[in-house]
Amino acid sequence: MERNLKYCLVILNQPLDKCYRHLWKKALFRACADGGANRLYDITEGHRESFLPEFINGDFDSIRPEVREYYTLKGCELISTPDQDHTDFTKCLQVLQKKIEEKGLQVDVIVTLGGLTGRFDQIMASVNTLYQAIHIVPMPTIIIQEESLIYLLQPGKHKLHVDTGLEGNWCGLVPVGQPCNQVTTTGLKWNLTNSVLGFGTLVSTSNTYDGSGIVTVETDHPLLWTMAIKI
Amino acid sequence: MEREFTPLEPLLPAGNLKYCLVILNQPLDKCYRHLWKKALFRACADGGANRLYDITEGHRESFLPEFINGDFDSIRPEVREYYTLKGCELISTPDQDHTDFTKCLQVLQKKIEEKGLQGKHKLHVDTGLEGNWCGLVPVGQPCNQVTTTGLKWNLTNSVLGFGTLVSTSNTYDGSGIVTVETDHPLLWTMAIKI
Repeated sequence: MERNLKYCLVILNQPLDKCYRHLWKKALFRACADGGANRLYDITEGHRESFLPEFINGDFDSIRPEVREYYTLKGCELISTPDQDHTDFTKCLQVLQKKIEEKGLQVDVIVTLGGLTGRFDQIMASVNTLYQAIHIVPMPTIIIQEESLIYLLQPGKHKLHVDTGLEGNWCGLVPVGQPCNQVTTTGLKWNLTNSVLGFGTLVSTSNTYDGSGIVTVETDHPLLWTMAIKI
Repeated sequence: MEREFTPLEPLLPAGNLKYCLVILNQPLDKCYRHLWKKALFRACADGGANRLYDITEGHRESFLPEFINGDFDSIRPEVREYYTLKGCELISTPDQDHTDFTKCLQVLQKKIEEKGLQGKHKLHVDTGLEGNWCGLVPVGQPCNQVTTTGLKWNLTNSVLGFGTLVSTSNTYDGSGIVTVETDHPLLWTMAIKI
């Protein structure tokens, strides 16, 4: 992460990757969605006080009683979001946006840990939250877990800098919600030119970079970018 | 048995009528826009593609038919090229004993059967190996008409789509049977007791 990048950290209910320590330190704001608090609690045993989230939201059907008690005692805000029509992750972003506005924070990106492994339906729910996020938070939201990152590209032109040195050797473009009829890229080993991407037609997976350090993507519909992280 | 039918129902602004749209080689009426949106499936018979191509100038990508059939003696080369590039299926039906329209209906019926557009499914979920979650995920494209029974949170002619509604963390009502009716491919996912 760049020294000056301003980001909020969201922790979901999946095994936490080691990078959480580094990400925690430089985050402007940190939140757990329900059972994400269990994950944080367990992995920070021995130095829990250095890892206190600003809030934990959810319907609280996953957070363990002793975990809830601990963070309440330590002054973390526990925000009940019982709405069953949305996931804890979606609701976490809603609460986060309110906090960002209240505190007048300047935020460049929301970094989410978890959400990409485990139950298939919940992985899909995480992807769906990215589709909804554009209506909730004005800044980009990325999800990271293990060696994968996902980021939803809105219709239009995008320039991705892929020269941090942390890039792994695969990437892809996945038209999850609907086909994209006009996709053009540069910087990939297999580029697209006004191509159609769609399930049943073409999905760009196992792609890689051409070495230029920059990938550009132009799309007419939301398109999921996914890439490898060197771990 | 008496058949009931409302001929103008497709033209109504709201409604759940399931219909396919066929475009022939005549000037297209403005109602094509509204009819296009709510159709399950859209096809052009030969020169019908020219009509569509011309009238949709400026936003052609929003009006891509699933297939264009014919002996292709009417479709203009640039029109054929455009729709081929955009992933539409071009189906040659050279038989001179039938019109492009007739042959279009033949192809359409095959598609309706293949794609299970009368897509009714019955899943038996009473093996004892079912875990406690299930879901319906419209990967690839939205489904405009999904109806289920047997789930805790059922759907009735609902829209499923990323950004709209994705059915996750659903579960069963205990009946042991789930039925799903869908107008587009829909991914079923369920927990296995491990």
